[in-house]
Amino acid sequence: MAGEVIYEVKNVSKRYGSVVALDGASLKLHAGEVLGLVGDNGAGKSTLVKVLSGAHDADGGELFLDGKEVRWHDPRQALDAGIETLYQESGLAPHLTVSQNVFLGREKFVKGFFGKLGFLARKQMEIEAHHDLEEVGIAVPSSNRSVSQLSGGQRQAVAIGRAVSWAQRVIILDEPTNHLGARQAGEVLQIVKAAKAKGLGVIFISHTLPHVLEVTDRVVVLRLGKIVKDAPTNLFDGDTLVAMITGTITELPSEKSK
Amino acid sequence: MTDSKQALSVRDRARSLVGNQTSLLIVVMIVLSVVFTAFSNGTFLSTGVFANILTDWGGYILLAVGQTLVVISGGIDLSVGSTVSLSSVVAGFFMVKILGLNSDLKGVDAWGVLALAALVAIATGLVVGAVNAVLINVLKIVPFIATLSTFGAAAGLAIIVSGGMPMQGPSDFSLINPVRIPGIDPAVFDTGLFSPMVLVMIIVTAIVGLFLHKARFGLYTYAIGSNAFAARAAGINVKVHTSKIYLVSGALSGIAGFYAYIRLGSGSPSSGMGMELYAIAATVIGGASLMGGVGRMWGTALGTLILFTVQSGLLMTGVATDWKQIIVAILIAAAVAVQTLQKKNGAR
Repeated sequence: MAGEVIYEVKNVSKRYGSVVALDGASLKLHAGEVLGLVGDNGAGKSTLVKVLSGAHDADGGELFLDGKEVRWHDPRQALDAGIETLYQESGLAPHLTVSQNVFLGREKFVKGFFGKLGFLARKQMEIEAHHDLEEVGIAVPSSNRSVSQLSGGQRQAVAIGRAVSWAQRVIILDEPTNHLGARQAGEVLQIVKAAKAKGLGVIFISHTLPHVLEVTDRVVVLRLGKIVKDAPTNLFDGDTLVAMITGTITELPSEKSK
Repeated sequence: MTDSKQALSVRDRARSLVGNQTSLLIVVMIVLSVVFTAFSNGTFLSTGVFANILTDWGGYILLAVGQTLVVISGGIDLSVGSTVSLSSVVAGFFMVKILGLNSDLKGVDAWGVLALAALVAIATGLVVGAVNAVLINVLKIVPFIATLSTFGAAAGLAIIVSGGMPMQGPSDFSLINPVRIPGIDPAVFDTGLFSPMVLVMIIVTAIVGLFLHKARFGLYTYAIGSNAFAARAAGINVKVHTSKIYLVSGALSGIAGFYAYIRLGSGSPSSGMGMELYAIAATVIGGASLMGGVGRMWGTALGTLILFTVQSGLLMTGVATDWKQIIVAILIAAAVAVQTLQKKNGAR
């Protein structure tokens, strides 16, 4: 079902001072696959996200995109390679409008001399942002409205829509359903499924385990900076997933019986 | 669906009318003018008075413009006043000590050398801006402390370079005197409102305003002040962009230093003393938020104008100028209070 490996992490480590945040983590993400990344607070999920998205340099280990080794020193490089990230800390600038946020870092300019000076094609970006978000399945009242005037759910929808509409290869979603109502969370899960159907590799990080079980194909469990389990989602249920995260079990019942 | 959209847009319009800092500032400006006119037996309402206000405005506006960029990006630049002193002194030093000229060179004959001096002043401002950029982005010192250091260093350097005395050099006071439209008798209607230097300041303000509100430079400035993390995640090189902002603020302070030189006909080490506080005050009165992400160039231009209208008005109405600082303080407090109210009504 899933395609070839798009993004591979080999033996990545990261420490902050004396704290080991990531300790030799390895995983493979396939095209058209949703990979769930779970773990307790401080397990290293957000650190792994930051390494994958280029926000942090890893201390050791390798990253491969489409089989080629890559090294990010800056989020820009990962973005240019087609890797989009939705960060847990809001990835939107509240004082900017919806369309300014959608196009931030990828602005369109007016034609000619003024475009070379950096003058922006504002109307064009507003229309395109509206269209792009609609295509992803997000209805935003108006793309020239400032993000601070949107509700929490609308903001999250814009942030996800922004990531999905720009992603070429991989999309990393850190707690995308956090603080959302049931209906809005359902919409987010639909967007994740749509991204998967487009052939993107999706990494889905969440504390909301029912969402993880619903939308992912495979689950990777992090504990104390180490990957302790990497198995297809259908081998887990809510109880075994919690037990695996907290460390009360280290093997799945289905594996024991083998 | 359509109903709620309609309702939203009506509410938006109402909000933008009440919550628009620019229209509020224009109202304040008109009220102040009326009050001052009434209490000065009409002498306030004259071209001469407004020309004076504009001349003062021209001395401060570019500092406020630079400060607006810095404040929107979430920083602060305390070094701008000292940069005015230093660049006016260096411009004088350049003409007097390096070119060996003196105050005998006047009028149109001085234009060539004054143009060179302007470039020297801008270069001086750029150097201060570059030092700020390095302190903030390389040594990671918070902007307040970084620019507090350059504030002291530039002021000290201005005294060292000038020897503590104004450096009198070539001058052309016609550049700072209001120009009258030919053919209209000043006795009938005085058209002498803008001096050539004030016009240049207006043009520079407009250009920076266009880049702030219409170009990518401004968009990134707002983005960084609004959410630096999001800006970085979107691929913006935050260090490079904030460095550019401090360089621009430095260069604008350099132009203001040249303005101070032209006004006095000399480079004085005290010409920029205390100006940074007025620049910050004008920026805040104009609606910028020291938390970053908020501010308009129109607001800053009007905020600066209000400051000097108050100053002249108090003088004309015979109120002791000691009250000036208190009135300015009230204006700042009122501006911040209005902002807080708008935030409460505006954002959900």
